[in-house]
Amino acid sequence: MYPLFEVPLVGGPILIALIAVFHILPCHLATGAFWITYFIERKAYNENRPDLLEFLKKYTLFILIFCFVTGSITGVGIWFASSVTAPRAISGLIHNYVWGWATEWVFFIIEIVTIYIYYYTFEKISPKAHMRIGLIYAMAAWTSMVIITGILAFMMTPGKWPVTGGFFDGFFNQTYWPQLLTRTALMFVIGGIFGLVVAPFVTNSSARETVTKTAAKWVVGGAVFTALFATWYFYRIPQSARELIISGYPYLKLMGFVAIGSLALVTLFALVWALPKPLSLNPIASIVMVIVLFAGIGGFESIREIVRRPYLIPDYMYSNQIIGHDMPAKGVKAESELINKEGFLKYAKFVPQGLREINEKNFMDAGRIISKYQCMSCHTFSPDGRLSIQKLLNSAGMSAPEDVADLLDSLGDYPYMPPFMGTEVEKRATAAYLAKLASPDAEVDPKWVVNGE
Amino acid sequence: MTNMATILNSMRDPMGVPFYPWMFQALMVLTFALHIIFVNLVIGGASLAMYGHIKGKEEPKWKRLSATLARASTVNLSLAIVLGVAPLLFVQVIYDPFWYFSNVLSGWWAMGFLLFICIAFLALYVFYLKRGENIEGYGFFGAIALVMLALTAITISALSVQSLHPEKWDSWYLIGKHMNTAGTALHDLNIARLLHFIVPSFAITGIFLMLYSWYFEPRKDFDHEYLTWVGKTGAKLALYFTLLQIVVGVWWLLTIPKNLDFLTNPALLGGAAVGVVTLVILVGAQKNPQKQAIPVAFVAFLAVLAMSITREVLRMEYLGKFNYSIYTYKLNLDWGSTFLFFATFVMGLIVISYPIIIAFKLGRGTDVTGGE
Ligand code: HEC
Ligand code: HEM
Repeated sequence: MYPLFEVPLVGGPILIALIAVFHILPCHLATGAFWITYFIERKAYNENRPDLLEFLKKYTLFILIFCFVTGSITGVGIWFASSVTAPRAISGLIHNYVWGWATEWVFFIIEIVTIYIYYYTFEKISPKAHMRIGLIYAMAAWTSMVIITGILAFMMTPGKWPVTGGFFDGFFNQTYWPQLLTRTALMFVIGGIFGLVVAPFVTNSSARETVTKTAAKWVVGGAVFTALFATWYFYRIPQSARELIISGYPYLKLMGFVAIGSLALVTLFALVWALPKPLSLNPIASIVMVIVLFAGIGGFESIREIVRRPYLIPDYMYSNQIIGHDMPAKGVKAESELINKEGFLKYAKFVPQGLREINEKNFMDAGRIISKYQCMSCHTFSPDGRLSIQKLLNSAGMSAPEDVADLLDSLGDYPYMPPFMGTEVEKRATAAYLAKLASPDAEVDPKWVVNGE
Repeated sequence: MTNMATILNSMRDPMGVPFYPWMFQALMVLTFALHIIFVNLVIGGASLAMYGHIKGKEEPKWKRLSATLARASTVNLSLAIVLGVAPLLFVQVIYDPFWYFSNVLSGWWAMGFLLFICIAFLALYVFYLKRGENIEGYGFFGAIALVMLALTAITISALSVQSLHPEKWDSWYLIGKHMNTAGTALHDLNIARLLHFIVPSFAITGIFLMLYSWYFEPRKDFDHEYLTWVGKTGAKLALYFTLLQIVVGVWWLLTIPKNLDFLTNPALLGGAAVGVVTLVILVGAQKNPQKQAIPVAFVAFLAVLAMSITREVLRMEYLGKFNYSIYTYKLNLDWGSTFLFFATFVMGLIVISYPIIIAFKLGRGTDVTGGE
């Protein structure tokens, strides 16, 4: 185990989710936008309408700044946020998918080189060459999505990987194609909406009309296919996850409605305003639609995150970074059994001096250390924090150490929590600490902790 | 230190690596060299753009150079970031225990440095795009960018140094009966080491100016007096800062623990030799920088590569004291994905050569049609 990094009040997962949502808009824009620009640029040259180029220049500069500043930095940000909150999980992903990410990186290089050259060579090279560069960008950007989607899909449905350990077995799993197609359709919606943000700034009115209508059509078309493929996707995720969304956890259902509602609203916007009255379109309204999409994507992604519980790597590593299942294909033994036998405090590497053996003096400290290592990945330890452990214990009416110990015994029965791992003494020490944390006047008998009676 | 050695090895990813560790090491060293070159171009370019901004009030040449460098810095920063991704990936494959420990321990810094870059980037864009003829007031944005870049460099360097000292980890993380989970502190920094990566910024940017002067030489519409001045300024800058770099290098060497016997290490001696060659060739290039730009750039690239190799050898020396060797990393060979990467890599080089050739020709004014 690595040391812990504690994010006060909101907890690590929210931090990652927050950065991720900020990443998703620019990165889908980066992948979708250039199909639209290619389409418009071709129109500009075929129909001899140089007035359309103004839009392309503005739009490209916008993408350059928005996607290649915020997009690329938030992308690296997710990575660092994962590294500091769940290093073993990101390490596990990297040790399987390093060549996948390295391949993705090649496409980043292609993207960045082509977009700068595209931007700086407008009207300076032949239209054919310029369009070709735009197309290279579009294809490279989409291919980078083809790759990252495999890794994202793996994080929820690892396919045959838990048995074979094969790169492609985990990559092309049952949710791969629906997810790829959903994201592909969605990227057109996002590209189109940002097109509607930039279009009102085009000075020539006939050009403004054309690009507004074009962008609106991409939004509507993309939205129809997003809905279609997302439905398919929904029926490909595991049964248990589907049930959790529909009936198990009200928050998830809400997030589902947010996602669907935002897509519907954006489509409506394109259909009743941008398409019939392109010249009256107000960029502020388009920006509001961007925010609506932002919320919708937040909903979609938080569902993806939550249904992964209690795993970070399904059927392999729990949310608290303990390896819970054997992985014979790669010669890995589950740690949970060893921990239950020898004790968590012996197994964890970085534990304060004098706590590895529990006695009547140190059990509270030991309990604190264990609960931080095992519960902090989902719960916060502040009374007003998100999924606050004190609050949850209180509302479950747990004030006696014995009750908490019973709860720890049954933790693995909750579909969203990993089992408690450790020896009996460690369990009682943890229970004592948690009971005292939740209700400061709880009575704890040190003898019970150490001897169990 | 056997205990620490066991701990370090057990912190490695139990699934092992999908290809021979030396391959990841080689790629890491190579991509780090590319990363640091662009980092140097950003820091040097932005600093010089600021200098030109101030000086440009009297001297139009500096004003012009400042505008060029501000624009180049935005592009170079994008490239520095994307080229940073590769060593970031590979270091986590073979040095995962060290890298993650250091990052977790300084969690807010590990994320904060990205915020610094973001601010630097936006400030640079304002500095480049908004600063037109009327330059009053925009120096503020250039200054912000420089401060943020400096903070970034300090943070990353501290994270690197922290990862080299497992013997200090317990004292940073464990305080009495408590764990330090706050992640608000940077625990270790070696100023000499940091400077050794930052001082070259001005030498590398100087060479960039020499290349600039060489590149636009064939263009009839360029002011050739200006170009010559840019080349000479660049060559001078490169020479003085290479000299300074040698001083900084010696200083860094003195801070390295004696028990590593690093002074006689072949990698170090080789690296130092390339550094001296760079210096010599720079002395020769002062007269006609335009002509010498390409050989100078080539040798300087070798020098940076040598620096990157030496840096890696030094890491192996530090961690060798704990019996850590990447070559003993458990292996779970995966040929399929290895092939996927290398095939894509070759394809990528071919694909980007097309737009690069077009842009290169366009800039030099030799062929404006883009091959059609
Ligand atoms: C994988 C994430 C995860 C981990 C790890 C985790 N929990 Fe939970 N826990 C949850 C979620 C999600 C809930 C549901 C909260 C809600 O109802 O809103 C929950 C609920 C609870 C509840 C309330 C149960 C009830 O019946 O109302 C308690 C008590 C609790 N957790 C204790 C713990 C303890 C103690 C640990 C560490 C040993 C732990 N949890 C580890 C995710 C986790
Ligand atoms: C533009 C701002 C940046 C600056 C000024 C900068 C500077 C530096 C410096 C000075 C080092 C050497 C540290 C040392 O060894 O002491 C370094 C290393 C490194 N940088 Fe950057 N960097 C920047 C951006 C990035 C970004 C965005 C990433 C990630 C995508 C990154 C990834 C790395 C990695 C992985 C290393 C090697 C760490 C190691 O091997 O221990 N850098 N950088």
